[in-house]
Amino acid sequence: MISTAGLSARANDGFPHLKQTSNTFLENAHEAMQDPEKTQVRDLMALFTPIMRDAAMDSFGHFDELRQHVKQVKQHSLEHLDHYLNRFEQEALQNGNHVHFAADADALNSTVLEICQQHSARLVAKGKSMVTEETGLNDYLKRAGLRVTETDLGEYIIQQAGETPSHIVGPALHKSAGEIRELFLAKHDLGDRELAETADLVGEARSVLREHFLKAEVGIIGANALIAENGYSMLVTNEGNGDLCANLPNVLIICTTIDRVLPRSEDATAMLRLLVRSATGQAQTCYTSFYSGPRREQDIDGPLETHIVLLDNRRTDILASDYKEMLQCIRCGACLNHCPIYASVGGHAYGWVYPGPMGSILTPLLTSLEQSSALPNACTSCGRCAEVCPADIPLPDLLRDLRHDETRRKLSPSRWRLGMRMHAWLARHPRIYHTLTGLGIRTLYLAGRRSGSFQRMPLASGWTSQRNFPAPEGKTFSSQYASLQRNEKARAVKAARASAATTPATGRKKTARRKPGQRIEPELRQDWPRRPDPRKPGNNARGSTVDDSSPDRQSAAHPAGPRGKKPRRRPEHD
Amino acid sequence: MTDTPRSSIYAKAREAGQEAEPDAIAEALQALGKSPTADLPAADLATAFMVNVLKNQGSVDCAADRSSAVQSVAEYLYRNFRSHRMVAGNDANLAALPWREAGVLPRFGSVEPGEPVALSYATLGIAETGAIVTLTGKANPAANNLLSEHHIVLLDTSRLVRDMESAWERIRQSTEKNGRPRGINFIAGPSSTGDIEGKLVYGAHGPRHWHVILMGDVPETALEEARELAGS
Repeated sequence: MISTAGLSARANDGFPHLKQTSNTFLENAHEAMQDPEKTQVRDLMALFTPIMRDAAMDSFGHFDELRQHVKQVKQHSLEHLDHYLNRFEQEALQNGNHVHFAADADALNSTVLEICQQHSARLVAKGKSMVTEETGLNDYLKRAGLRVTETDLGEYIIQQAGETPSHIVGPALHKSAGEIRELFLAKHDLGDRELAETADLVGEARSVLREHFLKAEVGIIGANALIAENGYSMLVTNEGNGDLCANLPNVLIICTTIDRVLPRSEDATAMLRLLVRSATGQAQTCYTSFYSGPRREQDIDGPLETHIVLLDNRRTDILASDYKEMLQCIRCGACLNHCPIYASVGGHAYGWVYPGPMGSILTPLLTSLEQSSALPNACTSCGRCAEVCPADIPLPDLLRDLRHDETRRKLSPSRWRLGMRMHAWLARHPRIYHTLTGLGIRTLYLAGRRSGSFQRMPLASGWTSQRNFPAPEGKTFSSQYASLQRNEKARAVKAARASAATTPATGRKKTARRKPGQRIEPELRQDWPRRPDPRKPGNNARGSTVDDSSPDRQSAAHPAGPRGKKPRRRPEHD
Repeated sequence: MTDTPRSSIYAKAREAGQEAEPDAIAEALQALGKSPTADLPAADLATAFMVNVLKNQGSVDCAADRSSAVQSVAEYLYRNFRSHRMVAGNDANLAALPWREAGVLPRFGSVEPGEPVALSYATLGIAETGAIVTLTGKANPAANNLLSEHHIVLLDTSRLVRDMESAWERIRQSTEKNGRPRGINFIAGPSSTGDIEGKLVYGAHGPRHWHVILMGDVPETALEEARELAGS
C-alpha cells in the first residue's frame, strides 16, 4: 500500500509539455469569476446538464442496479487486470494489430511519432482523446514537424484558439458562439461570410475538416473500452469524427490506457448504458463503434495497418494505492456538471487536463500532490458528485483523504495547518472545548442580539464580505441537549417512582426492537454504545433498513447521509 | 525478466491485483450476473424500436414486403431530391430487391463526392436503443455510413432484437461462421454535435438525415403509435 507520497517521487517527469497551474487554483478561480458572460454560460450548463442526466436515468428504469453491476464488473476487471490485459493483447495481436506498451507520457508520444515517421506521414487526423491531452501528444508531434488536426468540433475549436479543454466531454463549452465566429473568420481563409447561426459554424467546420480527413495519412483515436475476449476497442461519439479517423487514413493508432479493459462485449455496452446517460442524457450516442484491426482481405476500405498503444502513466501505482477506486472512472463528466465549484470557476481554473471532482483527484495522482495540493480543497463536501457518479466512486472521501495526505505532508499553508492543529487539540479536550465554545457563542449572542446578524467580524471577512453572519441563539447545541436530557431523566425518575408505588414490579425490563422510522425513546437512547469502535464497519451498506435495537451511532447521525458506507480503509499512514 | 515497459506493467498489475486461476476468474465473472437493460417504451418490439429511432432524431417508415420497401425508398428520394438515384453497399440482400418496379436507379459501391444518398442493409436493429448495426466489409463501405448527407437503412423485422445483449449473441453467431469483421458499427441517429454552447446541430461530419425503413410484418398501427409515443 502506498499513499500519494509514493506517487510524488516522480513529480514533473513525463509532463514537460504542460505548464501546470493547479497550485494557483484560488487565483485562477478568482480570475475566472470576473467575467459575467462566462459565469452566465456556466450557470446555464450547471442548470441543464443535471436535468438531462436525471431524465435519462429515470427513463432507463433500474439505474442503480445497472450502476452496481457495472461497478462490480469494473472492480473485477481491475482486480484481474493482468489476466484481462493479457487476453486483450493476445486477441488484438491475432486480429492483426501491433500492440505497444507505454510506461509514461513520453513513451506514448515517442511510440506514436515513430509510427508516423515509419510511414513518412505529415498529416494526422485526430479524434477526441483525453489520454493524448494527458500526454500532450499534439505538441510533441507538432515539434517533430507533423500537422495534427483535431476533428471533434470542440477539440478543433480549442486547438484553433490555442487553448486546453475546459470539460472532458464538451471541451469548448466555455466559448460563446460569438467567440467561435471570430475565431473561424480569423483562421479560415474563406472570404466574406455571415456565420450568424450555430449551424453555419458547424457547417464551415464540417467542410474544412472533410478536407483533412481525406488527406490525412494517419488517424489517431482513443478508446472508451477494450474488450478482452475478442480484442475489439469501443469508440463512442456523436459526430462520427472518430469513425472517419478510424476508417479513412491508411494507418490507425488507438491511444488508450490499460484500465479501460473489460472482459466481454456485453460489459462494454453495459458500461455504455451508464456512460451516455451520465454524459449527455442520451440513451445511445449516434456512433458506437467496435474496431478489431486492419482491413480484411475482402474489404474495400479501412486502414492497412493498426496500432494500439496501451499507456500506464501511474495507473498501476494508483491500482496499488488506496485511491484505486478512481480507476473505475468512465470519464462521463457527470461530476463536473454537478459540482458547485466547477460550475462557479470552470475547467481551466484547475490548471491541468482533468477538471472538476474527478480532476481534483486524478491530477494529484497523475502529477503530484506538491504540484496540485490546492485541488483537493476545491470541494464543499456537498456529496453531489458521489451521488451522480455512474461508477459509484466515493469522490468526496477520496478528496478528503488527499487533504489528509496534504496536511500530513505539510503541503497546505502553515496558517491552515496551525488552525487544524488547534482544532484537533481542542477536539481532544472536550471540557475545554465546551467551555470555550460556550463562551464564544455567548459573546456572539450578546454582541449580535440587537440586529440578529453581523455585517463585519474579525477573522471572518471571507464570509461577511459577501453576506451577513447570523448571530447565534445564546447556548451551544451540546448545552441545550444536556439540559434537555437532564429534564427528561428527572421526569422519567419521577414517573418510575410513581408507577412503582401503584403496580408490582415485573421481572425483566422490556427490550423493544425499533422499527425503521420509529421515534427513539429516551430510555433506549441510553443503550447506545458510548464510544463506537471506529474500525467497526457501519452496521450496513446503503439501502438496508435499520431494525436493530441498538442502532449504530453512525447511521443514526446520518440517517439519509449521501453514502451510508463503511469507513474507508486507511492503512497507508504509518 | 527483462525490464521492458510491457513486462513491468504486467508485473505491477499482477502485484496490485488478486492472483487467481483463469477458471476461478471466469467463475467470479459469471457470478456477477447480467446487466439490467433499459425499459422499452412499448411492449411490441417493432413499435419500441421505432419510438427510439424517432427519439434519436431519425425518421422511420414501415414496408410490409420487398416491393413496398423499394417503393418507400423511391418516395424518400423523390420527396427530398426529385431524383431516383442513390448509392447502395454491395450487399446481396440489396441487390436482390426489385428496384426497377419503383424506377430507382441504385449504384452499388462507395459514395463519391457529390452523391448525397446512401442505402445500407442492417445486420441488426436494437429496440432498446433504436440503433441499427452494420458490419464493415464490401457490403458496407465506411463512406456510405459516414460521408453521405442522407443515410437510409433497410432493416428486416427478423433482424430486430430486444437489447444489446441479444445483439451480441447474434453477432457472435455470425463471427464464429465468418470471422471477426474489422468493425462493428452501432448507428443511432444522424451525426450530431452539441459542442457550440450545448446547442444540438445535425450533420456535424456525417449524415444530416437518418432514415430507417422497417421491412416485414409490423402491426398496422405501430408506426402511428410510435410517433405518438415519441411525441413527434
